[in-house]
Amino acid sequence: MGETLFAVGGALLAAGLLARLGRRIGLPTIPFFMVAGILFGPGTPGVVLVEEPEDLELLAALGLVLLLFHLGLEFSLDDLIGGGRKLLAAGAVYLVLNIGGGLALGFALGWGTREAFVIAGAVGISSSAIATKLLVELRRLANPESRLILGIIVVEDIFLAFYLAILQPVLGKSHGLGDAALEFGKAFAFLMLLAAIARWGARWVGKVVDASDDELLTVCFVGVAVLAAGVAEEFGVSDAIGAFMAGLILAETSAHERIERLVLPLRDAFAALFFFAFGLTVDPSDVGSVALPVAVAVVVSLVLNLTAGIITARMHGHSRGAAANVGLTVLGRGEFSLILATLAAAAGLDDRIGPFVAEYVLVLALAGPLLASRSGSIARRIPPRLVGEKPPTGSGSLDTHSMR
Amino acid sequence: MSNEIEELELPGIGRRYRLAGRDGGSAVVVVHHSGRRDLYVMGADADTPQATLALTDRQARTLGAVLSGAYFTPAVVEEMEAVIGDILIDWMTLRADSPGADRSIAELEIRRRTRMTVVAVARDAGTIIAPEPTEVLRAGDRLVVVGRREDLAAFTRHVIGAASG
Repeated sequence: MGETLFAVGGALLAAGLLARLGRRIGLPTIPFFMVAGILFGPGTPGVVLVEEPEDLELLAALGLVLLLFHLGLEFSLDDLIGGGRKLLAAGAVYLVLNIGGGLALGFALGWGTREAFVIAGAVGISSSAIATKLLVELRRLANPESRLILGIIVVEDIFLAFYLAILQPVLGKSHGLGDAALEFGKAFAFLMLLAAIARWGARWVGKVVDASDDELLTVCFVGVAVLAAGVAEEFGVSDAIGAFMAGLILAETSAHERIERLVLPLRDAFAALFFFAFGLTVDPSDVGSVALPVAVAVVVSLVLNLTAGIITARMHGHSRGAAANVGLTVLGRGEFSLILATLAAAAGLDDRIGPFVAEYVLVLALAGPLLASRSGSIARRIPPRLVGEKPPTGSGSLDTHSMR
Repeated sequence: MSNEIEELELPGIGRRYRLAGRDGGSAVVVVHHSGRRDLYVMGADADTPQATLALTDRQARTLGAVLSGAYFTPAVVEEMEAVIGDILIDWMTLRADSPGADRSIAELEIRRRTRMTVVAVARDAGTIIAPEPTEVLRAGDRLVVVGRREDLAAFTRHVIGAASG
């Protein structure tokens, strides 16, 4: 037991201290948690805190469950409906481009169909944690395009929920069409049941968990989240979507705001272990073999993000600067990509996916914020015509004298 | 120029309020779900803020009170006045060169000549509520007076004297 405690404590402290260094220069925490796992894992020389990644398996799984549970809890359809059709359209543009690009890349790699579906999600979905934090820290919340960015993130979150729901049956090793249909049916029925509980039964769930003191509430809601994740796995859907649905259900209860406050420290501690444990599974010697696909994926994401930024900024009548801000703020990849890679590993997919996603996330989780903070100079390289702006200097044409 | 506040939902963060200023710029307040408030001062070009400030819930309330004029620290405010209906309550400090210094209230005929009433005298030795007409006023006394606003000027002239600047 002492050894395990040593490993868990060392993992958390290593992850925390490394991420603190990153914080100083304005970088997000997720890549540093992962790097801590790589450095103090069996794949690299030096101190090995955790010999077997399996030792942290349960705690890392709790991290994944709490991440998705919190996402479900915060999720609000009102946010989306309040944003109107234009925000929805912007999110759709972003997803069509990036998921489409990811899917094309996945098939081009030729690792298999199931692998392609995982890569589509891992490459196509931004890290909402990184994007939201960037907006606050770069002091851009007052900018006109910030609402657009947050709208895109909300649409991505919804997509993620549906995507997770259908992914597990796709990943399952079902044989034949009949089996596959059965798997889908089971998964669908389970999700419908949870959705029905969220819609009509939340009051009763609330009565069960809503203890007036924080201690009992915490014990109960963690129980609900973990149990939902476990039952979901039994029904052939991922634990991630089970936890998400548990969050959705509890979001409808009267205890909603207290749970939101209480779950945060738990989520932060266990999610850090999840990222650390992911780092443990990365063998740096594999990194070279996936370097080319990662480089291609990074370039594809950069181009598609800027394209999406330009299109959505144009739809909303924003400037070039706004277009660059949109594209680069949502460029960061993080928790969702790593969750998908974990699901792929659990399903026994091609083992290049792990190092591929790890390296891809590392690059974009660091490059995204760095580029976003310098978006001004990148914006100047976007031809004004693309966002429907007039050239900045008067060329003497009639156009420059006309009133807007 | 308008006093209209533009209000917008920021999904996952909170709400955003924008008030246009007089010079083409605007003040933007972001209220986070967590209670944190961000204050942004935007220039006319609207793309990058000229100044930003992050405030806790308490700090934001204090700033709001200052802006709305409801916040003051009485110790700093030496002279202030309050008006209830057409009654004015005011207090002012007697200087050594004031016409009223070292003379009694009766001597000064304050009520007859200025139609104001001295209801209290605050001095370091102790506060006198409803002073007798024989009370001698001294330099440094703070006189609390009640009367009509139009009579205040006469009182000031007769007892306190012209402000020496």
